[in-house]
Amino acid sequence: ALAVVFSPLPRLRGLLQRCWGRLERGLLPGFSGGQSPPWGPALAVQAPAFLPQPVNDTCESNGAPSLLDSIFWMAAPKSRRTIEVNRCRRRNPHKLIKVKRNIDVCPECGNLKQKHVLCGYCYAKVKAETRLIRLEIRKKEGGPFNAPTVETVILYDGEKPTEKDEGKRIIERPRKRPSWFVQN
Amino acid sequence: MRLSVAAAISHGRVHRRLGLGPRSRLDLLRNLVTALVRHERIEAPWARADEMRGYAERLIEYAKLGDTNERAMRMANFWLTEKDLIHKLFKVLAPRFQPHPGSYTRMLQIPNRNGIDRAKMAVIELKGNPFPPLIRPNRNTEKTLLNQLLKGYREDMQQAAAP
Repeated sequence: ALAVVFSPLPRLRGLLQRCWGRLERGLLPGFSGGQSPPWGPALAVQAPAFLPQPVNDTCESNGAPSLLDSIFWMAAPKSRRTIEVNRCRRRNPHKLIKVKRNIDVCPECGNLKQKHVLCGYCYAKVKAETRLIRLEIRKKEGGPFNAPTVETVILYDGEKPTEKDEGKRIIERPRKRPSWFVQN
Repeated sequence: MRLSVAAAISHGRVHRRLGLGPRSRLDLLRNLVTALVRHERIEAPWARADEMRGYAERLIEYAKLGDTNERAMRMANFWLTEKDLIHKLFKVLAPRFQPHPGSYTRMLQIPNRNGIDRAKMAVIELKGNPFPPLIRPNRNTEKTLLNQLLKGYREDMQQAAAP
């Protein structure tokens, strides 16, 4: 098919160049120089609308063909993919979303959680409380780089430090002790 | 003999590549270790937390050698970028973990990050920290095989003893 396309091309090219020359010279004085005309040479075969510039014979067989010459060799589908083939590809197990079977109910709060992951609700609860404790620590430390050289203990409303918390730094939280934070 | 080097395939390679390069990876891990020693419980991407865990535990083992040890002090100086944490490491963490033979950290997976990347996150904490405990799933429920067998054995013993 490619050979058939090629043989009329030099003659076509010559003819079109002569027509183009006539156009440029006088028949259409509105377009002069190298400006693009409203119409260009149109080809019925699959080829670029604008022919490449007239190359010399010495450059006919140049090394790597430019993109304009190699447009003839691009990959394109030969025939329509049937719906059966399409369905086989789209519904192949590797393209479907896998079903997760490792979802459980958290025994504390009743929300859903994955078996190997912490419960999101319980973790958010603990995270909020640690954030408030860290705010208190920040207030106590004052500035940056004041990490204490003693342990820390956290006491809630109405709690006294025991004899185990002898030399420790005490952080007060002005609320009732939450049920899930057991005092040691 | 290796006839071909498959450079793009990484089957079986165990070492992680974090950050922009080896130096950047060490800087990242150093920042994480400093944060862990300061705050005692941090959230980080799971891979980074996993890498950092080994380094943190080795640092505590070095700290257990004592304040006067030259190598321990050099390690602590390199790994902790905030120098007031060196005091905390030797005076608070080393005595706290003196009776324990190993495993000073606990790492648990959290639900994926809320941002657009949905990264796998982990929370890593030093054991014995003063904060409220993370609500961990109990692995020793009644339904495990061992517990069911023990329950059956106990019932058998009671039936043998009762009549």
